Amino acid sequence: MADTTQSPDQIDIELRSSIDRSLRHPVMFFFTSGAVWLAIGVLLGLIASAKKHMPEFLSGCGCFEAGKVDAAHMNALIYGWGAQAAFGVIIWLMARLSRKECRSSGVILLGGHLWNLGVMIGVGLILAGKGSGVPWMEFPAFVWLLLIPSYIMILIWSLVQFQIRDAGHVYISQWYLLAAILWFPWIAITSVLFVYHFEGHPLMATAIAAWFKSALFLLFFLPTALASAYYLAPKVSGRPVYSYSLAIFGFWALAVIGPWAGMQKLAGAPIPQFLPYVGAAAMILIALPAVLVGANIINTIRGNGEAVAQSPSLRFTIAGVISFILFGVLSAVLHTASSLKITQFSYTGYGLDILTLYGVFSFCAFGAIYFIVPRITRREWLSRRFISWHFFLSLYGISAIVCCAIVGGYFQGEGIEAWNQSFLEAASRAGSYGWGVTLAWFFILISNLFFCLHLLLMWARLGRRSSHPTLLKASHAESPHGPEGEVDNYGTANGPAETSAH
Amino acid sequence: MSFKAFIIGLTLTFGLPWVITIVLPYSFMRTLETVNYAGIEEDGGEGPYLPKRDGRIKEGSEIYGQEGCYYCHSQLIRPTYAGSDIWRKDWGGLAKTLDHHDTRRETNAFDYQDEAVAHIGISRVGPDLSNFGRRVTNALTLGGITPEEWVLNHLYNPRAKKGYRGAEDQNLYKKSVCPSKPSLFKTVDASMARAGALKVDAPEGKAIVPTDRARALASYLISLKKDTLHQKLPKALDYGPKTEKAE
Repeated sequence: MADTTQSPDQIDIELRSSIDRSLRHPVMFFFTSGAVWLAIGVLLGLIASAKKHMPEFLSGCGCFEAGKVDAAHMNALIYGWGAQAAFGVIIWLMARLSRKECRSSGVILLGGHLWNLGVMIGVGLILAGKGSGVPWMEFPAFVWLLLIPSYIMILIWSLVQFQIRDAGHVYISQWYLLAAILWFPWIAITSVLFVYHFEGHPLMATAIAAWFKSALFLLFFLPTALASAYYLAPKVSGRPVYSYSLAIFGFWALAVIGPWAGMQKLAGAPIPQFLPYVGAAAMILIALPAVLVGANIINTIRGNGEAVAQSPSLRFTIAGVISFILFGVLSAVLHTASSLKITQFSYTGYGLDILTLYGVFSFCAFGAIYFIVPRITRREWLSRRFISWHFFLSLYGISAIVCCAIVGGYFQGEGIEAWNQSFLEAASRAGSYGWGVTLAWFFILISNLFFCLHLLLMWARLGRRSSHPTLLKASHAESPHGPEGEVDNYGTANGPAETSAH
Repeated sequence: MSFKAFIIGLTLTFGLPWVITIVLPYSFMRTLETVNYAGIEEDGGEGPYLPKRDGRIKEGSEIYGQEGCYYCHSQLIRPTYAGSDIWRKDWGGLAKTLDHHDTRRETNAFDYQDEAVAHIGISRVGPDLSNFGRRVTNALTLGGITPEEWVLNHLYNPRAKKGYRGAEDQNLYKKSVCPSKPSLFKTVDASMARAGALKVDAPEGKAIVPTDRARALASYLISLKKDTLHQKLPKALDYGPKTEKAE
């Protein structure tokens, strides 16, 4: 451990590497099993999408029947990949920012295994036709008895670390992380109780499930992604966050607006009439934090194009932040009264879901993973090409999904709204865009096979033993991760580069 | 910002919408206010409106969810300010013809009675099913197959030819993109099948019979009607095009 004769610089490096060591197993576990679930989720997405325009695709196989495979696809993506990637990012970031080693990696690992068991049972039962039939919550109700305790086992330590940290500046990333950690159980327990356990009106169960869906993204995945972006952008570019007050404002804007969204999905349903309106208004207002946070992060790295081009972490993160801005703008446009009636029951909603889960959250998570894994394994990424392919294929894929599902969904919705035209007209409009979505999932699948393979190799400790980080361009004299020589040599002795800007 | 301020802020910003959009509407909707008929002369009924649904609703609705039908089918006829569903042919009820009255109307909160979750649906890759049962019954050739047989055939193979009354409907089936649901059916020896077998091409000496799940699902789907046979809807719930037209 740190020795008093060492320089402050040395103590700092020692502390960071001891934090990384203490978290190596749980974080690698979450990232690798998350990546495997991602590949599964994407494969299921490909099948689900193909069945929407080729109904006989894989029709001989009962467990891959349309409907079930859609549900398994979304749930594998959300709970298998999304939640686990988020857990890895949260526990590592919180330990680093609170500058505390993790002393409970065993419990976290156990929690991680339980979570995986829950997801496996859930996805298996969905495919076996035993799902609950509630969108985004298709796991049978009892699976939550496994998921919620394992969530607590995994993330309670991050709260403890924050509480026992040495007094000092609290970074904006920490506020986002804390909020995400606290929001998730509140959202999940509320939804599970109201949807499955209390006796109420079936429409309110649906409405609360719709709220759960948007709250899960806006108040769990999004804050985790933003915490990572607010950490990585200053860290890799070596500049402080552009405006700290804007960052705080962006956080509270999300906290104030986010919890109201969701019930716009039930516009026109016989529930208290203000609920869909409030939901739609929140989805329009969400453009505000999206644009502010996006501008703040992009301004932080402005003039540092070289770093974005070279650093895989920064490139993925910036793509995620741009997706967030795009999500905000699209959300505002698509939830006005005149477009909501068109988009409410079209592919557009799916397009927005995938934009949020993959475009915003996953890209930021990939950025974090490319940053964290070399530090905890003490090995560098093997192949620049693999990272490049992962990035570009993912980018093509997500752009194609957004174009086909959101734009195509809009035309489909218009076709359905044109009530005096045949329904087949609307259906055929959707068909060709469906092909586009299937093709896009194919690209994303290939990209994630590269990612998954690369990560598994790193997990097997087969990474490069080098002091030079793997950059996307041939090494330059100056690397965006700081001067070369040591894997863990970013930041200064005064702490991480992320400080408040004045 | 201190930790304490943060926690108070979080509790307020989350707690307020939590109470207003979740807890209060949920308790408000737990027991629906009884709707009374205005009277025999005005409404064709007296006393409270107590709707009943025929069929295996609870079970069928659960299977509908388990099979993920809601990914491609909706069950919501929105008021005209929120969409034009009610005008689409046979979606919100049947338009007036020589045989029957105009039964088109918006979805009301009683329509999901006896279900655990209202399957309002995610997208409309396929048509809305709010009035599916009536639509099927109405489209079939008189004396041909029963609605239940039709639904089971459709679940087994949506692109198989079935007996419709209208020529327009007759051509629709070929273009369906609805995936078939083979896991809801069993292939058994023809001698075991008895009357329940589907009238489809089965392998030599075999027959395709629906499972109990398929029957429950079919029963539920047929229950989806915007008009109930013996029970007129009170005017207070009957929002549809006919009420807007001047006499």
